[in-house]
Amino acid sequence: MLRKEINELLTETDAGKPMGDMFRQYWIPALLASELPEDDCPPTRVKLLGERLIAFRDSKGRYGLMDEFCAHRGVSLWFGRNEEEGLRCPYHGWKYDYTGQCIEVPSEPEESGFCEKIKLKGYPLIKVGDILWTHMGDKENRPPEPIWEFATVPAEQTYSSKRWQECNWLQAMEGGIDSSHVSFLHSGGLKTDPLFRGAKGNKYNENDKKPVFEVVESDGGLHIGARRNAEDGHYYWRVTPWIMPSFTMVPPRGDHPMHGHFWIPIDDHNCWAWSFDYHPTRALSPEERKAMQDGYGVHNQYEAPGSFRPRQNKDNDYLMDREAQKRGDSYSGIWGIAMQDASLQESMGPIVDRTKENLVSTDNGIIMARHRLRKAVVALRDKGVQPPGRTPEHQLVRSAARVLPPEQPFGDVMKEDLTAHPGVKQTSV
Amino acid sequence: MPHDHDDMFEADNATRPGRGPVDHPTMLSSCARAATAEEARFRVPYPNSLSRTSRIFALDQSAAEAMYAVTEDPWDNAHFLTVFANSHVTPDTASGDIPISHPNGAAASLDVELTGADIVVLLATDGSSEAAAEVIARECFKRKITCAGIALKRGPPSDKMEKVVNSMRKFTRVLVVAQDDDYIPAMLTALRA
Repeated sequence: MLRKEINELLTETDAGKPMGDMFRQYWIPALLASELPEDDCPPTRVKLLGERLIAFRDSKGRYGLMDEFCAHRGVSLWFGRNEEEGLRCPYHGWKYDYTGQCIEVPSEPEESGFCEKIKLKGYPLIKVGDILWTHMGDKENRPPEPIWEFATVPAEQTYSSKRWQECNWLQAMEGGIDSSHVSFLHSGGLKTDPLFRGAKGNKYNENDKKPVFEVVESDGGLHIGARRNAEDGHYYWRVTPWIMPSFTMVPPRGDHPMHGHFWIPIDDHNCWAWSFDYHPTRALSPEERKAMQDGYGVHNQYEAPGSFRPRQNKDNDYLMDREAQKRGDSYSGIWGIAMQDASLQESMGPIVDRTKENLVSTDNGIIMARHRLRKAVVALRDKGVQPPGRTPEHQLVRSAARVLPPEQPFGDVMKEDLTAHPGVKQTSV
Repeated sequence: MPHDHDDMFEADNATRPGRGPVDHPTMLSSCARAATAEEARFRVPYPNSLSRTSRIFALDQSAAEAMYAVTEDPWDNAHFLTVFANSHVTPDTASGDIPISHPNGAAASLDVELTGADIVVLLATDGSSEAAAEVIARECFKRKITCAGIALKRGPPSDKMEKVVNSMRKFTRVLVVAQDDDYIPAMLTALRA
């Protein structure tokens, strides 16, 4: 249960809202780099943290992210002409550079300097990996550029996708740290999904459906360990890192690529679910990459080319297949790990009413994450304290899976396993 | 009740190959589209759970001090109990013999306190009461009561913390290593204690 006022504190992310201000302290994923594939390509609309923005790539390859609407008469610059180092409004020809600065107002004498007085709100947009990242906060508090391992390994070792999820970011993110649902909702996928099947660790999942949890605070967020029985009294540990505010990684399986998520608010009722897969030491195989593109693992299929709305969505009841549910191919009857999560999280409503929930002790990962978010939001709001998760040392994390003797706490023994070391293979079972 | 035509839509049969085509108009509230803020107001308003009975045990003095800071809060049906310091409890101590007390110092009985309990939370800072944790947890296991542990960190990582974590790991369904005492009320509130 969460009190109404705290639920609002954590779920509302428009500018001026405390949680919105917190998200604005980070570099967040804004677009796939492939959405702006070449210089002077068409601009693209993007809504983030309740702000309607336009992104474009100018003639010199510089990325711009700014207010979607022309300062003159409020026309959407999505209709604009991307030409000669700027985005020009097609209505009266006003032109803006990649920072949002107006550089031409054709109706006014050039000498008047009028255009210098016009500037659209703009944010930096940088390419790290195959993602374009933005920082929507004050320049003086801009953190170092993101160095998440999935975004910094060579391109052939990584794959990212995004999908529109029609619910608030927090209930989507909470699914990422709720390890206890895996044994139920995703149980079919462990046997069939090409990006999961075949790992020895899957057996431990199947044989012990009542994991025991350990939640350990880390400097950047949390480590959530799920412990299952293994051979000879040993424990099979799967450890999920959560880095504030919304980065999680799923513990790996065998030599499959590692994967994880970011959940970024579009507005209070929608979010971007970013999903990535990467292998720290080898290129993704053509089969793996194809499986990701085909929507396996943590990825999904799309409603239409160029759309980021999943093919399975609330308009078609997520293509629920009751026969598959009956046969046991899919525990919920929904195809695919990503949409199994999204369908249930969207069914909660745009912002779930947490005053009505009945959490149990195994929900402590969620409880602790909310606790840490609340504390960080309040510390930022009341004292200007920068939240955790902004610095390289907090971002160099990995998930891990390992079999340990019973007396060894995962926090100590797996410390190095849970740290990203370039060129070092993941710890997995 | 008549249904507004605007609330109906025709499912796209073409997108449901082999999945039991929907070939009739469907009310908004009869499909996944109902996950809107407007539809949320039709959710049935009622208390969907009964009161929970929670028992919180501080296993050492420092944990007791952290616990006392929240005992006066308006809890539903939570009892806060302290294991006596230097009480010489061993793993073989009978559950009825474990020395525990209420915040006002009055002696309490483990058997009485666990009767009807839904959840037990063990609080510890130093691992000195491993035996008490075992006796309480064993009794919880016997009675099928969920037992959770919170290890409250005191300063940087230490052998002491490892000891407390190890002491509780064997007995709890979930174990939390918390950096600050504020987590106690946060967790108890979340669990409707």
